[in-house]
Amino acid sequence: MTRELPYVAAMNEALHLEMTRDEDVLLIGQTVGEEHYESFKEFGSARVRVTPISETAEIGMATGAALAGKRPVVDATMAEFLLVAMGQVVNEANRVHYMTGGQLRAPIVIKAGYGFAAGWAGQHTSAPYGMVMGVPGLKVALPSTPADAKGLMATAVRDDNPVLYLHHFLLLLERGPVPEGEYLVPFGVADIKRPGSDVTVVATGWTVHRALAAAERLSDEGIDVEVIDPRTIAPLDVETILASVARTGRLVLVDQATRHASVSAVIAGEVAEHGLSSLRAPVVQVTALDTTLAYSQPMEEYVLPDEGKIAAAVRQVAGVKAGAM
Amino acid sequence: MTLDTGHQITMYRQMVRIREFEERVKRTFTDHPGVIRGHTHLADGAEASIVGSIAAMRPGDQAIATYRCHGYPIALGSDTSALMAEIYGRVGGICGGYGGSMHLADIARGFLGTSAIVAQNIPQGAGAAYAAQLRGRGDVVLTFFGDGATKQGAFHESLNVAALWRLPVVFIMENNSFSVTVRTEEEDANAAAGEPLATKAKAYSMPGTTIDGGDPLVVQQTVADAVARARAGDGPTLIESLVYRLSAHGNSIAPPGVPLHYPEHEAVAIYGAVEEYEAAKRGDPVPRFRARLIESGVLTGDQAGAIVDEAQAEMQAAVDFALNSPLPEPAAALNHVYA
Amino acid sequence: MWRIRAFEERLAQLKRADEVPGLIHLSIGGEAVAAAVCGQLRDTDVVYSGHRPHGHVIAKGAALPETMAELMGRAGGLCQGLGGSMHLVDTEHGMFGATGVVGGSLPLALGSALAARMRGEDAVAVVFFGDGAAQSGIFAESVNIAVLWRLPVILVCENNGFAEFTPRSAHTTVERVSDLVAPWAIPAATVDGNDAEAIWAQFGEMLRRARDGGGPALLEALTHRLRGHYEGDPDRYREALSSEEWQRRDPIARLQSAALARGWFGEDEAKTASDDAASTVDEAVAWARQSPPPTPELASSVVYAA
Repeated sequence: MTRELPYVAAMNEALHLEMTRDEDVLLIGQTVGEEHYESFKEFGSARVRVTPISETAEIGMATGAALAGKRPVVDATMAEFLLVAMGQVVNEANRVHYMTGGQLRAPIVIKAGYGFAAGWAGQHTSAPYGMVMGVPGLKVALPSTPADAKGLMATAVRDDNPVLYLHHFLLLLERGPVPEGEYLVPFGVADIKRPGSDVTVVATGWTVHRALAAAERLSDEGIDVEVIDPRTIAPLDVETILASVARTGRLVLVDQATRHASVSAVIAGEVAEHGLSSLRAPVVQVTALDTTLAYSQPMEEYVLPDEGKIAAAVRQVAGVKAGAM
Repeated sequence: MTLDTGHQITMYRQMVRIREFEERVKRTFTDHPGVIRGHTHLADGAEASIVGSIAAMRPGDQAIATYRCHGYPIALGSDTSALMAEIYGRVGGICGGYGGSMHLADIARGFLGTSAIVAQNIPQGAGAAYAAQLRGRGDVVLTFFGDGATKQGAFHESLNVAALWRLPVVFIMENNSFSVTVRTEEEDANAAAGEPLATKAKAYSMPGTTIDGGDPLVVQQTVADAVARARAGDGPTLIESLVYRLSAHGNSIAPPGVPLHYPEHEAVAIYGAVEEYEAAKRGDPVPRFRARLIESGVLTGDQAGAIVDEAQAEMQAAVDFALNSPLPEPAAALNHVYA
Repeated sequence: MWRIRAFEERLAQLKRADEVPGLIHLSIGGEAVAAAVCGQLRDTDVVYSGHRPHGHVIAKGAALPETMAELMGRAGGLCQGLGGSMHLVDTEHGMFGATGVVGGSLPLALGSALAARMRGEDAVAVVFFGDGAAQSGIFAESVNIAVLWRLPVILVCENNGFAEFTPRSAHTTVERVSDLVAPWAIPAATVDGNDAEAIWAQFGEMLRRARDGGGPALLEALTHRLRGHYEGDPDRYREALSSEEWQRRDPIARLQSAALARGWFGEDEAKTASDDAASTVDEAVAWARQSPPPTPELASSVVYAA
């Protein structure tokens, strides 16, 4: 059975179900006492614990509790706040399993919002996953739909590794069908959000919806676009992308991250290495430009990918005749 | 040191200007929906602390602050039209529309800017003080932050270094009893034990003091003493200034399309502490200082009223300027990526 | 203490002979702290260390052959050769980790303490760190939370007077690390780190209190690092102790003469302990040498926990 839920409710539903299922699951963070976590009060203040503004200690402590058998979920609020505690994210929790020859495991989930491109200015709008997607031992999930928000959260909590679960601020109130009860979305399995035969578009998070809108517009022009959402960028399902490119021969990569720290750049590299013979046109990347986001709306929009830019890129790759490379 | 009456009137005027500015920022959400985007944080309730602190500065001194930053540049003399235009995202903004409410700066007036990340301006303040120490002109840096910031590692690291290097910096913690939405005693071991947060200075062999941040003269005196100490090369001081912010932490948080507004204060909305909040409003530092100046004969009621009228007219002009200032050219987004 | 000393002296020889790769930080001269603290702990009590962990690992009960094999990068090592000197872990004996980043394990110990308390156990977490770590932000963040939540964690600072290569006076105005917790009303004490008896008594008191739910404490042990920061450090920034001075301070010699004077054991037994330590270390080295190097594939097989 499915029903319509907002993305934020789907995400919280998964977390609530996991906390009910497994009493080792904890929820800590600066905002876990707030209204949007009202339904978590039933787990008690020992399992749902408000922390000081001490990101380094919060994440380090979650790691320690995880080493001792708990499964903490840290709500770090905003992706940029993690930068304050970067050592704990990319140099402690993710490495303990490896460095101890597999003895230790740190099953923590670090949950944070990103990409609040609605005038939140330079320090609250970025999509900084490019900095962490190549970090060994760390998994990174970027849900784009309410169903994925639920399924990826449940999988994140059950994973035995540190998982960075990045939810998109602009999607929080977007509604969509969500399965009831236990629902898991596997990591490392891309989802074809829209099948198509002419051009492959790979997008994550909020840009998935921009890509789908562009695809609708382009279908009127006779271009059949396939939209793929990797859902997790570590592990990254390169196979599904290569298989799609083998069918379409054309690839547009969409990413809210700045171009040179993007998932797009990584996928472009993989396709160049493993799928070049399938390509009938050069890959085009539609990413954020390499700048901090400005506060003022016209400048903000100029920097970010949007429906029009995606459609233009698709037309560009579709317009290149076979054999032109 | 007692301030002459002229100074006291100036301080009152600055407090009123900050209050009126913040009122207009808040009103913009209803008067001109959609004009202010993102997040704003108001200084209402902290005017006495801000103005008292800034009054202890002399030219050459500098200040650095957090995302709750509208008050400092106003007290330092920045153009309120340019400040309002920045909050409206306009070309005429003090940062050209690049920064918005959380990222005001006015280098010419010694306001070195802000960080939107809790406590990250504290090491920057220590660094500015290091530069001042190297300049050797006796300049001092005021570093403003909230009570929540004292739980960040950056606070500990910065106060240690500032004490060690005897940096000319005054750390001014505006304790408004809430770390965003969490009561301080729920996240601070000192507050939980009923101790003042200035106790933390003990770990850095630095003086620490707690004052009534609602009294601008007390604040001015305390900060001036700390500034004098810093100027003399005797190092930093930690001042805990007790204030009560009269608005919620910030405006509502919502994706585009959902109208933004200022929600109810956390004391009421989350903790149900209606009486505490009402008492804070009764203790509002702006009318409190006005009553005192009138009582002591420094001001008449009419003069005080005229100051409010002038401030209201100034802020009306600021709103008008900001509304009429154009939005930036989109491609300007690529300017300033590198200096 | 003899076992730690013999192990590390042998380790230094092996490092010079290039049988041990990488960066090695020795704790020679600091054995009393490891022995007196870990000697009072149970296997269920958790210990975290920093980048100078050999003594803590051995005192917590790790087998010497596996420990030596890890340092030599062999498959039979505690961590199959993946961790090395700065990442020794032996979960069976409650040795949960060391870190190569100053202060990195402080909050981890808080997490373990929190987990123990949530399970309703009286286990305690102990974290060893150097005086250099006390200046890092992670220290203050961790202490605030440990005090606020009354966690059963004991912070043991081995203050050797140097943060890496620079003396303490270049790092802080605060003379004693125990003074750094002055803002919080928790037990804090500074003891002579070469006096095993004093450490035993002071730590024992803190341990009982933490087990009984009394919350965190900080113990600072003043030690002298006989070696440089790492093995091979030219060590030009310190004044060497005279040999007579060291004779007076050496924690092993001190404990031994006190014990002899009080008749706890005789000269013969002391000699046996020292000889046994040496032969145990010989056996450990022999075992480690026979352990094969790990297969290269291991390097990519445990990136994620399965």
